[in-house]
Amino acid sequence: MRTTLTLLLIVVGFGLQVVSYFFLAAPWGIPSSPAYSNPRVPFAPTIFILGVVLVFLAAVVYELLPERGQ
Amino acid sequence: MTVRTERLPYGVGRLTGGWYVLIGVLLAFVVLGLYAYSRQLAVGEAVTGMRDIGTMGGATWGLYVAFVVYFVGVSFAGITVAALIRLMNLEFLKPIARMAEVLTVIALILGAFSILADVGRPLRAILNLFRYARPQSPFFGTFTLVISGYLFASLVYLYLDGRRDAALLARIPGKLQGFYRAWAAGYRDTPAERERHERASFWLAIAILPLLVTAHSTLGFVFGIQVGRPGWFSALQAPGFVLLAGVSGVGLLIVIAAILRKVLNVPDQLSPQVFRWLANFLMVLTVAYLYFVIVELLTTTYAAHYHEVEVSRALLVGEYAWLYWASLAFLVVPFLVLFAQFITQRYNIPLIVLSGMLVNLAAIGKRYLIVVPSQTHGTLLPYGTGAYAPTWVEYSIVLGLFALGALLFVLFVKLFPIMEVPETLVSEGAAQQVIEGG
Repeated sequence: MRTTLTLLLIVVGFGLQVVSYFFLAAPWGIPSSPAYSNPRVPFAPTIFILGVVLVFLAAVVYELLPERGQ
Repeated sequence: MTVRTERLPYGVGRLTGGWYVLIGVLLAFVVLGLYAYSRQLAVGEAVTGMRDIGTMGGATWGLYVAFVVYFVGVSFAGITVAALIRLMNLEFLKPIARMAEVLTVIALILGAFSILADVGRPLRAILNLFRYARPQSPFFGTFTLVISGYLFASLVYLYLDGRRDAALLARIPGKLQGFYRAWAAGYRDTPAERERHERASFWLAIAILPLLVTAHSTLGFVFGIQVGRPGWFSALQAPGFVLLAGVSGVGLLIVIAAILRKVLNVPDQLSPQVFRWLANFLMVLTVAYLYFVIVELLTTTYAAHYHEVEVSRALLVGEYAWLYWASLAFLVVPFLVLFAQFITQRYNIPLIVLSGMLVNLAAIGKRYLIVVPSQTHGTLLPYGTGAYAPTWVEYSIVLGLFALGALLFVLFVKLFPIMEVPETLVSEGAAQQVIEGG
């Protein structure tokens, strides 16, 4: 359970980073219109930070969550 | 039973007259910084020495940005040393691990405050970063990786690393017992818990090291990829930032370790072997950075274009020459001192501490020289040479930030053991209390 939750947090964290960086933030490419200046989803950078936080939070979960039966 | 907290190790929970005076002085400087900042908020950045580049002949990035880079650089030491101790099994360095981690956390907080001091409308800046930061911009990395990710990772590392000591101190009755119990969060130091902590710390260290290099490189890219700014545009900026970060961070760690060795009277824990290792590490980092300085100097003075030469001239023989040569001397002299000690294998702690102080002065000087001259002397448009002189407001805010950092460190030292606590120390202290308390 503990290991599963830890791995889940890491995967979700990295997933959020990748998705927010490449698909939710301002598009990559030569800025030919104002669309390149604004994020596609508001607060996309916040989602990226959330991803970073989740990855490191996994360590806390791994250490703090008690063993099964304890 | 009488509750006595003075039995906590390393002077935790015990404030003597000297500590009160120190805290009072630091608070006074913090208040001075806050007053200066209130002037800046009320009147605007006209109270600083910063002016527009070109049209107003000034620099839009000044002392604050120089110290953003400096503080973030200092943060390098903590997690690097902590990660190296874990990955390379350097047991003898364990006494400095926690002070290094605390140094990292505080330095990153000060770095974030320096950014806030630099922007005219801080609340708007914070909100817009969360809403609009662009991944293509190195500022995005600085914001997400350096301030957020790196700070959070350091806090996690510090928290998990402190659980064992918190559990030990939670056995001792006193005002801080609840705090230690909360920090320990049920930790009992069983073999299974110890093993789990070892595993988690190992992977954290593995994850943090690339984050560290990326974070410091990102900060270097803020300058290094600006093609229109002579003096900044260089492939050496990012690795140079990483190296100078290491130099300043390890240097400051040496100074802090020496102060704590004296104040807490722990010459056995903070042994000469610790200082020897730090001195050698600092020596390697310093000589590597000096190599970068020489390469940069040769590149920009040999056959660079006119604008690049203008910046180099301002640094080498112009108005920034005194600072440039002083900074260089403060790198060369410590290197020679450390190298001489390495060759003779005769290490002198005061000399190592002096080297740590000098390289930090050099780092501050170099950060200022990276930030300012390219703005005053490096414009590609046909504007005249600019000038920048920080005002009392900027000096006061920076001084206030240093005082805040020192204050946070002192408070931590008085709240939590700054070094790993040997179990015997706590057992003896607790036993003593029970006997005294009846």
